[in-house]
Amino acid sequence: MYFVSFILKNLARRPIRTVLTVLGLAVAVGSMIALLAVSYNVERSVEAAFDSRRVDLVVMQKGKPMGWDSEFSEYFVRETAKMPEVERVSEGIVGNANIERDGVLVDLGILLVQGWKPDNFGYEDLEILEGRRLQAGDRRKVMIGRTLANNLKELAKIGPIGHRVGDTLTFVGDPKNPYEIVGIFKSPVIFEDGGAIVPFEDGQALHSKRGKVTGFSVRVRKSAPDSHAEVETVKRKIEALRDPDDPYVVVVADTPDKYVQSVSQLELIRAVSWLVSAIALAVSVISLLNTMTMSVLERTQEIGILRAVGWPRGRVVRMILGEAACLAAAAALVGTVIAFIGMQTLTQMPKVNGFIEPDLSPWVVARGFALTVLVGVVGGAYPAYRAARLLPTEAIRHD
Amino acid sequence: MTDNRSRNGHRNGVAPGWHSPHNHYLLFADRVYKTYPDGAVRALNGVSLGVHAGEYVAITGPSGCGKSTLLNMLGVLDRPDAGEIYFRGEALTTRCDLDHFRARQIGFVFQSFFLIPTLTARENVQVPMFEGPRRTARQRAQKADELLALVGMSQRAHHRPMKLSVGERQRVAIARALANDPVLLLADEPTGNLDSENADKVLDLFTKLQKDRHLALIVVTHSDEVAERADRVIKMRDGRVVADSGAEIIPTPDPAATS
Ligand SMILES: Nc1ncnc2c1ncn2[C@@H]1O[C@H](COP(=O)(O)OP(=O)(O)OP(=O)(O)O)[C@@H](O)[C@H]1O
Ligand SMILES: [Mg+2]
Repeated sequence: MYFVSFILKNLARRPIRTVLTVLGLAVAVGSMIALLAVSYNVERSVEAAFDSRRVDLVVMQKGKPMGWDSEFSEYFVRETAKMPEVERVSEGIVGNANIERDGVLVDLGILLVQGWKPDNFGYEDLEILEGRRLQAGDRRKVMIGRTLANNLKELAKIGPIGHRVGDTLTFVGDPKNPYEIVGIFKSPVIFEDGGAIVPFEDGQALHSKRGKVTGFSVRVRKSAPDSHAEVETVKRKIEALRDPDDPYVVVVADTPDKYVQSVSQLELIRAVSWLVSAIALAVSVISLLNTMTMSVLERTQEIGILRAVGWPRGRVVRMILGEAACLAAAAALVGTVIAFIGMQTLTQMPKVNGFIEPDLSPWVVARGFALTVLVGVVGGAYPAYRAARLLPTEAIRHD
Repeated sequence: MTDNRSRNGHRNGVAPGWHSPHNHYLLFADRVYKTYPDGAVRALNGVSLGVHAGEYVAITGPSGCGKSTLLNMLGVLDRPDAGEIYFRGEALTTRCDLDHFRARQIGFVFQSFFLIPTLTARENVQVPMFEGPRRTARQRAQKADELLALVGMSQRAHHRPMKLSVGERQRVAIARALANDPVLLLADEPTGNLDSENADKVLDLFTKLQKDRHLALIVVTHSDEVAERADRVIKMRDGRVVADSGAEIIPTPDPAATS
């Protein structure tokens, strides 16, 4: 017999209790893993997009961390483009819009509609699945992301609504100007798939931001691929710009990774996922403490015998910690499965659809496992201490 | 024995010189006192007792006279308030690795067996083997099989304690006590829960172990039949040894003289 076999047999003694404990822990651990994965995936996909679009700086209005409430004059874009160190700029207008059907709003949750110029960096890694991309001279045309396309297709089963190339969509507030769907795309940025892209000028009109941009991306001419000096220079120059017509508007230029860190939606997701994780971990520790303490108290006599036959305290501690760790490891396994199924289910829901990728990165799973093992050790520590303190003579006295 | 004395003669905790009787013994209790924290009476009131290697000793006496307490002291499950236990001349109470010592030198048998219910007979016998001499899992299983054969339990090796008769359980418990080939077996009322037929089997086994393995046995018992089998019978009363059929009687000293 191996020491581990003994530990497993101890757990098998009360199978229902063991299974229930594992399930309880697994639900907590699963939700933790799922949330960590959501925040991880969103951040990674945004970072990856900036990376593949070779963006060196992201310029937004200072003090508007929500991203799409950033707003400043096109003057900044023009002045930046003139800088000798700047290779290219790519501006965009971003906002939430709603689609209506026969004058009635269609609930699609958050619908991100971006306005892009024909040379936007975003086109470089956009995959056109159907139809075509927007071209110069296009007006009142729209490209829809594949997730939005699917959501509209579902809605089309209930009542007529545009969802195919050639169909039209009507935005709330502009009923007289239907937009023709020219293409369906797939973006590396997951939440772009849930939204739509219109020509830049249409975007300004739609979001009531004539002459304004939400932000812009900058490609810097660099002496070496990872040289930071030029980027720093451009950053300082952009941040020093003042619009003569509105000198109170200040912009910030951040590198993409810093920008992702500062976006408050992402920060919120991160904060919520850590908060919920902390609660899940606390619940897990308490549940494990309960199970293991009960189990130790039940086995007072047995543990006394183990001491009597020569087991030192250390081995008793290892036995109890081992049992707790096994419960935690089983919970981590089941929890990962729960997280995976949970994320799959969540992605099917139209409201979240397009914001969450049902993807569990090994890094997130590893982090979940590490935290769960920690739960095992913490939750097993007190019961193990209780077990180690049992005196063999007390245990065997009630003969 | 001489060898032991010369080796241990100068060690700490061992009174040197010809007048120290504990060097001759496998186990020697020297003026052992014990009062339980919540107990009004002295469970042990200066017990001195020597046991030779291979000796079969029975301890008898009325209920509550301190037999189990003494057995716990001899097996270093508990430390005395005063006095010392010597093993081959070496003082034990100052040792810090008593678990290690117990695992290798001492086997315990109890009235209610205390087998682990989730383990089969064969696995129960292996429990002490995690301590003691290094063995692989295969060697542990092999050793368990040998011991089960020795106690006549090979047929029931894969049964859990609940499926065994009480007599069988006690024989498995004896096999467990022998797991690390101890030199001393301590048994507290080993036949207390057995009918006379099963009790006889256990007692035959004890005699066999003493003869074949030169095992020293200290058996606490109420039963005259058990006591009859022993080489030597020690009678206790009120925490003291009042009679010892053995040749060497070590008188309990006057408590006033010891302090
Ligand atoms: N853990 C303990 N706490 C308090 N008192 C105890 C404890 N263990 C034993 N005693 C007391 O110490 C005395 C000796 O007890 P012990 O168990 O050694 O007697 P015994 O001779 O083995 O009795 P029995 O034949 O009934 O088993 C008794 O008065 C008992 O009540
Ligand atoms: Mg007793």
